[in-house]
Amino acid sequence: MSKKQKQRIAAYGLVLPAFLIVMLTVAYPIVSAVIQSFQDEKTGEFTWDNYTYFFTEPNQLKNILYTLMVVVLTVVIAIVVAYLLALYLRFTKSKIAKTIGTLYLLPRFVPAMCAVYAMITIIRDSGLINRIGLLFGHDIHLGMMYHASGIITMNLWFNIPFAALMITAGLGAIPDSIIEGARDVGAGKLKVLTSMIFPLSAKDVVVASTFVFMSNVGSFTTPYLMGGNHPKMLGIALFDQFNKYLKYNRSAALSVIMFLICSVSAFVYIYTNLKEKDWEK
Amino acid sequence: MSNERKVKLEIKDMTKLYDNGDGVRHINLEIYEGEIVTFLGPSGCGKTTILRTIGGFLDVTEGDITVDGQSIIHLPPEKRPTAMVFQSYNLWPHMTIYENLAFGLKLRKVPKAEIDKAVKDGLALVSMSGSEKKYPGQLSGGQQQRIAIARSLLLKPSLLLLDEPFSALDAKIRQQMREELKKIQSDLGITVIFVTHDQEEAMSLSHRIVVMNKGKFEQVGTPAEIYDNPQTLHVASFIGEMNFINRDGKTIAVRPENISVRPGTGDDLDGTVRTVMLLGHYVVLNVQCGGNVVKCNVDRELSDRLSIGDKVTLKFNKCSIFDEEEGFVPVEQ
Repeated sequence: MSKKQKQRIAAYGLVLPAFLIVMLTVAYPIVSAVIQSFQDEKTGEFTWDNYTYFFTEPNQLKNILYTLMVVVLTVVIAIVVAYLLALYLRFTKSKIAKTIGTLYLLPRFVPAMCAVYAMITIIRDSGLINRIGLLFGHDIHLGMMYHASGIITMNLWFNIPFAALMITAGLGAIPDSIIEGARDVGAGKLKVLTSMIFPLSAKDVVVASTFVFMSNVGSFTTPYLMGGNHPKMLGIALFDQFNKYLKYNRSAALSVIMFLICSVSAFVYIYTNLKEKDWEK
Repeated sequence: MSNERKVKLEIKDMTKLYDNGDGVRHINLEIYEGEIVTFLGPSGCGKTTILRTIGGFLDVTEGDITVDGQSIIHLPPEKRPTAMVFQSYNLWPHMTIYENLAFGLKLRKVPKAEIDKAVKDGLALVSMSGSEKKYPGQLSGGQQQRIAIARSLLLKPSLLLLDEPFSALDAKIRQQMREELKKIQSDLGITVIFVTHDQEEAMSLSHRIVVMNKGKFEQVGTPAEIYDNPQTLHVASFIGEMNFINRDGKTIAVRPENISVRPGTGDDLDGTVRTVMLLGHYVVLNVQCGGNVVKCNVDRELSDRLSIGDKVTLKFNKCSIFDEEEGFVPVEQ
């Protein structure tokens, strides 16, 4: 056996365990789920019914639109807030900014369940805010539990630090001399923001947006604990189909639908990465 | 320098202190129209601090800076009549060369046809014609700095500020860029303030040099004045090479090119050859004279006859005696 062959065998040997695990736990379930989604529940014959169900049944259609609404609002608000935070952290050199810079990632270290329950004790109609209100003679009912606003608030709690982390890294990579150069030739602060900082951080914003989008389409813990009975987030709808109604073919179809929704943002992600190659050497 | 020359920039008793107490104190300087003035000093001496206060990127703590008699210290960078070229990352990477050059003109609402012409002329000035559609990332470091200089010049600044613009470039290109800058400056007659830690760069570019050390001006003068009559030990050792020889309790300062060497004994100082280094058209000889190692520049003809360990004698054609209180006192030959 030549040296080259030996090296090749060794290389394949190193990759093989990871490859097998991926095939077994990722590729196989995906392929089988896609096949299952096109199969009739009883006869196993090809059918579109599992898909048409989710787009024609009013309750299911509402679930999809509701999920999109919650996710889009989460993305928009999280990115705007994170961007403002990142701008502050990048361009302010005070002690407060430094402290915020260290603390803002803390929510990432709190287990999701704990965080959701903590939020519930604050915002529910008998929660902390209500009690503080009572002290001043106001019976405040926020009505955020079992409502989209509660889920979005919780999503923001999780996603703002994450988005800010990515955008701060992006803004941090913009050298001062680029901004100073623009000021020098006559650009005011607003012009610097629109002509330099926005374009140079656009990619990070898109990347952060796609990650926030994807992680929220299939979210479960938050809608399970804080969401209402109707409409439901898709994660809960999928849970119902699979665990309560034991509709495995419909579950498979819904999984594929969720995957397709996510792949829209994956497409955006890949597209922006390719497009900007122009000036990024 | 005649007194009738127009003062372009005046720094009046300017102090800029950082939070940690570093900075520059009580700086006074007049820079004349059409002059290239270089701030020269080791890193951390405050030269960039002064440049950035002129450009508006740092506030002054005290004092005033005027351009054409008008105080500029309360103006933000975008309102100042100055243009700055930075050490690196000068160009905006997401814009083409054309867009980089046109950006400042667009902000001034210059008509499109005029911008096109100005960009074309600007690129021709720095020998970069035809690169309009490229992105900065597609150019070499030297080309990028040339574009950066062109970008600053397009706005016809009263004062061009350059903050070690060539320090990231390799030696050969640095040399070219200096020549080009000098040519552009004399063609356009603009006033230039240049910051560098490279004494050779300062000597070759400047009309006047400000030698700085630890936040203070050590000496201000023409390259020749500074080279021939250094006023402090720091200036003497920072500009060019200087031998300091202790003899009879005095410190004698002599430049390597002002020493004549011949084999034998009997002149000002005797010694033995320690090393011989060929540096192209001349040879550097290190001669061990008692406790001192003296550096001498000699020609090939002599160095070919010498080898390590040979006895030589040195004659100082021009030297000064350095005294802590009086500074450098030239020795009459």
